[in-house]
Amino acid sequence: MNAAASTLTLAGVTKRYDEFVAVNNLSLAVRPGRIFGIIGPNGAGKTTTIRMIVNITMPDEGRIELFGQEMNAELQNRIGYLPEERGLYKKMKIVDQLRFFGELKNIKGRAADEAIDRWLARVKLAEWKTKKADELSKGMQQKIQFIACVMHNPDLLILDEPFSGLDPVNVELLKEVVLELKAEGKTIIFSTHQMETAEKLCDDICMIDRSRKVLDGSLREIKRSFGRNSVALRLEGGDAVLDDKTLVAKVERHSDDLEALLAAGADAQALLKRLVDAGARVSKFELVEPSLNDIFIAKVGESE
Amino acid sequence: MRKFLAVVKREYLQRVRTKMFIIMTILGPVIMVVLTVVPAMLFTMKAGEATRVAVIDQSGKLYERVAESIMRGDDRKEASGDKNFEKNFNSNAQERVKGAGAMMKSNYDVRQALPGNRSLDEVKKELNEQVLKDQLDGYIILPPDVLENGKVESHWRNVSDVVTRGQIEDRLSRAVVAQRMAEANIDVARVDQMSKPVEMSAQKVTEGGSEKDSGGGFYLVLAIGILILIMITTYGQIILAAVVEEKETRIAEVLFSSMRAFPLMLGKLIGVSLLALTQYVIWAITFALFALYGVGAFSARGADISLPSLPVSFYVYFFLFFILGYFIYATLYALIGSMVTTTQEGGQVALPVIFLIMAGYYLMFPVVRAPNSGFAFWVSMIPFFSPITMLVRIVSQTPPFWQIALSLAIGFGTVVLLIWLASRIYRVGMLMYGKRASIPEVVRWVRQA
Repeated sequence: MNAAASTLTLAGVTKRYDEFVAVNNLSLAVRPGRIFGIIGPNGAGKTTTIRMIVNITMPDEGRIELFGQEMNAELQNRIGYLPEERGLYKKMKIVDQLRFFGELKNIKGRAADEAIDRWLARVKLAEWKTKKADELSKGMQQKIQFIACVMHNPDLLILDEPFSGLDPVNVELLKEVVLELKAEGKTIIFSTHQMETAEKLCDDICMIDRSRKVLDGSLREIKRSFGRNSVALRLEGGDAVLDDKTLVAKVERHSDDLEALLAAGADAQALLKRLVDAGARVSKFELVEPSLNDIFIAKVGESE
Repeated sequence: MRKFLAVVKREYLQRVRTKMFIIMTILGPVIMVVLTVVPAMLFTMKAGEATRVAVIDQSGKLYERVAESIMRGDDRKEASGDKNFEKNFNSNAQERVKGAGAMMKSNYDVRQALPGNRSLDEVKKELNEQVLKDQLDGYIILPPDVLENGKVESHWRNVSDVVTRGQIEDRLSRAVVAQRMAEANIDVARVDQMSKPVEMSAQKVTEGGSEKDSGGGFYLVLAIGILILIMITTYGQIILAAVVEEKETRIAEVLFSSMRAFPLMLGKLIGVSLLALTQYVIWAITFALFALYGVGAFSARGADISLPSLPVSFYVYFFLFFILGYFIYATLYALIGSMVTTTQEGGQVALPVIFLIMAGYYLMFPVVRAPNSGFAFWVSMIPFFSPITMLVRIVSQTPPFWQIALSLAIGFGTVVLLIWLASRIYRVGMLMYGKRASIPEVVRWVRQA
């Protein structure tokens, strides 16, 4: 993957705060038109990485290239950034705030007003246009912040925990919008510590833990290459089969189901046959891909 | 540049539209009027009703003079408008109250209480009753030996009316003095003429020869100092709040993803300053209208009031140093705003700024005495003091141009440096929410950011 083919490239980026290394020798490439997830627990260095991408802080070492250019202030206008720490001017009318944020991204006048109306309608807040921010609920404010980040039609969108604090209906709405933007060819960077959300949305991911990259690549390939298959089961009997360590490495029991992690080299087909032979009644037998969470835990465990 | 203007516009428009600003702008002159005109009006209101005074003249020869003196009331103070104004300019509060009292149209109704063949106690008893029935406000007893030892007794329903009593005392003594002179065959008019005080005019020695200078320049500097102080005490807090606003609302990060911290900080400062300017221009116009009316009234009474005649260059300096003074302290508030996380916290930290302004203000007194001393030179180079001290030097004994230019350059250089510093601290501080910066931390932030 060469630099020209990527929207964004980080090469050997390191950022220190005093003695503390927030980001350590991070390299990654974000391909155009895809949703790229930066994933990791709280404090892993996600936000610091993003702040370097949007030119709020400079890396101590390494290079950042965006749209084939060295990072600079001009490029900021082509990025839409929804930070995790976000807010609105409390006493300012929604339309005035959005016009102001638009002006900061070099969109003003009629173009700005059109974008504001279109987006307010899209997130179903059109009738709140002339209200002040502190009259809106938290969730509504968050949608306004989202508009502030997309109204200038940026080529790169960076969303830091965009769904936190939203009700399920609005989460769905925002996801829809994000997928629409992707369909329009925008590149989207999506940062979260919630693995499940990332798993549903992202095409590519980069996992960070304690300031280091643990893993990156296309989500599908990662899952495929991650050779740990498990089986979701619902059955009566067959306990002896599950205790066979050459077949099943580990059994996790949930309320109704259980999840059997296959031993290395074991075949799911063989397990099913053994269970049927042993006279167990199988009402569910499903091959499960490892979840991002599992992969993350395995990877972090490996690196320790 | 466009983003900078967007910030200026937002700061200005958002604040100029607030109810608080509109109310204060309207209320400001109203309060000014209430504080100055109303007390004077209240004093004059009393004059609507004549103060009824009875006089018991035991000396038997003073009543005519006393009655005339009290009722006509041509106090020398009241007559000499110009002198009086100058004196009032820096008189203390007590004198000012007296002065205001003197300005009221005195209105007295004096009558003689004739004892006939009654004893003094009987007369007093009768007068007391009249006072209590509100037929009389008070009475004065002139004892037989009043001309010799000048002791007079008076009785009032309201003894706390110091203005009335003071006035009557003044007029009584004038009547008594006149009577004494008359008895000693001295011409009162000649005494008046002979005891006329000296009036000293001061001429400033300049290269163009001597010119008249009433010291008005000094008063102008004083006024500018007060104006800076008032502006900073009212607008410093607003600047601080404006800088803290994005931290409290957590908008800072969005802003920094769109623009650098320096234009943001500068934009905030300029936006709020334009707001201050708007308010003060409105106030100045109102005040000018009042003043025009007032000056007209004073001039009609023969007072000579005009702006001190100073070279045009002085007014340019006044303007420049005023702007400098405002921005020096305004940026200090911005700097404090960049270090704290809430407005309340900032309010406490900002207190020393007021002391700094006061210090600059008091420094003008040693400087005016020796405007060319080494001390005066150095304090007029220190940016926090120069707006006042350099102006004092300019009006008293204009220093060489290079010194003025240097002082201005240091001052405005400091302003830019402070804004840069504030924006730097602000940016790093924003990246670590939730705590106030300690001084060593701030120093480290400035170095690293």
